[in-house]
Amino acid sequence: MKILDIAFKDLTRSFRSVFAIGMMVIAPLMLTGLIYFAFGGGGSSDSPSMPIIKVGFVNLDALPADAPIEAPLGDNVRSMFFDDSVKSWITAADYTDESSARTALDKQEIGVAVIVPQNFTERFLSGDKDVQVLVVSDPTLSIGPAVVQNMVTMMLDGVDGGGIALQTFQERQKANGITTDPAQIPAWVERFGNWYADFQRNLFHHPEKAAFVIVAPAAGETETTNPIQKVMGVTMAGQMIFFAFFTGAYSMMSILREDEEGTLARLFTTPTDRTSILIGKFLAVFFTVILQGLVLMVAGHYAFGINWGEPVGVALALTGQVVAATGLGVLLISFVKNSQQGGPVLGGGLTTLGMLGGLFTANVPGAMPAAMNVIANFIPQGWVLKSWRMVMDGQSAGELLGPFVVMVGMGAVMFVIGAMMFRRRFA
Amino acid sequence: MRILDLALKDLSQMFRDKRSLLFLVAMPIAFTFFMGFAYRNAGGDPNADTRIPLAVVNPEPDAVLNKALVERLETSTSIRAESMNEEDAMNAFYKGDMAGVLKIPVGFSEQASAGKDAQIQLIADANSADGQSLYQLLRVPISQLMGAVEVSRESVDVVNASDPSAEQSAAFELAWSKWTESSKVSLVKVEQEVAKSSDWTGGNPYNQSSPGILVQFAIFGLVTSGQILVQEKKTRTLQRLITTAMKPWEIVMGHMLAMFTVTFLQTMMLVLFGQWVLKVDYLREPLGVLLIAVTLGLWIASMGLLIGVTAKEEQNVILYAMIAMFLFSALGGTWFPLDVTGGAFATIGRAMPSAWAMNGLQNILIRGLGLESVWTAVGMLLAYAVFFFLLAVWRFRKIEI
Repeated sequence: MKILDIAFKDLTRSFRSVFAIGMMVIAPLMLTGLIYFAFGGGGSSDSPSMPIIKVGFVNLDALPADAPIEAPLGDNVRSMFFDDSVKSWITAADYTDESSARTALDKQEIGVAVIVPQNFTERFLSGDKDVQVLVVSDPTLSIGPAVVQNMVTMMLDGVDGGGIALQTFQERQKANGITTDPAQIPAWVERFGNWYADFQRNLFHHPEKAAFVIVAPAAGETETTNPIQKVMGVTMAGQMIFFAFFTGAYSMMSILREDEEGTLARLFTTPTDRTSILIGKFLAVFFTVILQGLVLMVAGHYAFGINWGEPVGVALALTGQVVAATGLGVLLISFVKNSQQGGPVLGGGLTTLGMLGGLFTANVPGAMPAAMNVIANFIPQGWVLKSWRMVMDGQSAGELLGPFVVMVGMGAVMFVIGAMMFRRRFA
Repeated sequence: MRILDLALKDLSQMFRDKRSLLFLVAMPIAFTFFMGFAYRNAGGDPNADTRIPLAVVNPEPDAVLNKALVERLETSTSIRAESMNEEDAMNAFYKGDMAGVLKIPVGFSEQASAGKDAQIQLIADANSADGQSLYQLLRVPISQLMGAVEVSRESVDVVNASDPSAEQSAAFELAWSKWTESSKVSLVKVEQEVAKSSDWTGGNPYNQSSPGILVQFAIFGLVTSGQILVQEKKTRTLQRLITTAMKPWEIVMGHMLAMFTVTFLQTMMLVLFGQWVLKVDYLREPLGVLLIAVTLGLWIASMGLLIGVTAKEEQNVILYAMIAMFLFSALGGTWFPLDVTGGAFATIGRAMPSAWAMNGLQNILIRGLGLESVWTAVGMLLAYAVFFFLLAVWRFRKIEI
């Protein structure tokens, strides 16, 4: 009963603290929410949100005198960027020469410059392989330049395709003993041009008719249907683990604060034995971390649509997390002399262990070298992250038993060492 | 003079506390190494195969179009194509061994050649960088393949073939070989605009992580300095100070000067660490970096002042400083470049003072620009410093004596 009283007192104290609530719940949710918001989470799937691409266009091209086409190719490329259909995500402006476009890039007035060189059409039609449209980008950008490059490539591929169609028809006519009638050429080019335009339109606007389509993997029983939710699941798991370990250690600091405030000494004068005091404190930490985990999981599910996995697997991962976090909390605090020292030990120690356990790079595939992944096998946070990944990937409870045993084993060993040090200190 | 005395008192109090060194020095250095390490490995070991792994489900490997497409993919320098059955391919995808699965349907070659609808599917995460890259990389050869098919079908009419099947086959071979030849030459050249390429050190993975961590930990450094103000309030030292001949603005300035000094010293230490250890060339424009460091320090000091006068408990300073760090770091693009984020996030983020500090440093480190490129960032950081300072003074005046 005394054990429960001590645990209840510590729990009440924890949940009264704005700081504790902030670090237990608000900080991990806020961090995950920021990442969710950053990568388009919460927006309508019909209107993907992306930053506007500012394009500067330099068109030095002109139509050669005897060209078989009506407008210079530079005009066609330019019209893509000024079309009404792209106005919601591309703003384009004309520049007279390459130098003024580069200056605009330096001033960040534009993010990408497209430069069509002089006589581009003439050289292209004559089969000159050295002629190129230049795409110059702000070196800090990645998505915008790639999109612009794709648009220009797509347009020029269509033109290139027209040339290939023309050459193929001429060669096939020759092979069949037919002399090409130059009057047929515009019709051939137009026919292929129309096909190519329809083909590209289907790719971008009518995926059901397109020859090539990107589809999300079919959702299984335990898989989330939205890939962003899967990414958010791993992100949220990383945050939940980091702050669960923080909570475990921070809650255990109550023993130091009581020691400094003198209430621990007073408690020792009562008939309550020291083991009961320590177990009471341990129980408070245990319940706090469980409650924190449950709150974060429910909030993560409703706020970010995270599917945590099968209940049995979730229970194993959460229990392992709680035991490991509590054990490490007891061990860490047993090394700390006073609550003043607690902040840096918790901040520095848990952040370092979080790094080594892969919590901050959970969504960067291949982020860490192999040696670091080996180190993660000796870190409790690394095992907890591994178990959450397994649960969210739909692995069975049987497969989770191995990581569960490791987490509980690590937690128990750390708790025993920490408890022994506390007993020695307060003997 | 009193301002200096007060600032010196705060500084000696801070540096006596060994915890300060952990937050101000050791943590940012460890994080810079770690993030640089992560980005460098994500970017790839130069000797490693960095092609994107793609499982190809090709139930009819001998079909003409299937064969042509797979042969092209096997020569790709960007995609590592591996043929598998559908079950193995999906398992490899779910395990993360493959970034996507290219599924060529049964009868594709026959249907496409006959001009009927036939669809190749890429099963991938459309929101991931690898998924999008795969889609863009595959769109080109598939467009070319279908273009060659279209040309071969039209050729039957163009030559008025007596044996349409033979003509279509010959025309396809011819058109496809021309596409294959043409695809070796790019009509688009891509380059990055760098103002002074002669002394530019772009490509260093720490160019993003070093200034990012610098801005992030400058904010987190407020924990120590903000706590001093709270201690003074709790021990009523501040109230006693207010009753002395020292004017309120002198008290505010004294504390702010200490906070500024700490932030500035920390920033300069991380700049020198970046310069000498990580080879991030801050010193290619020393005055520009100095101006950013000073104005960054002023903004953060004024925000620290606001946190210090607002927080009632020392612990709350940690919480407020962490919230400020998360908000300004994430929104300001210190963790990831803003151009990969959603539109609204990027728009809000670019207005943040942390984003202006990053922009100023990136102008020097990544864009290769000179001193003139940091003036806007410096002006914006100063404006934020004034705004937070006025808020702090307003809160300070509400402190009960």
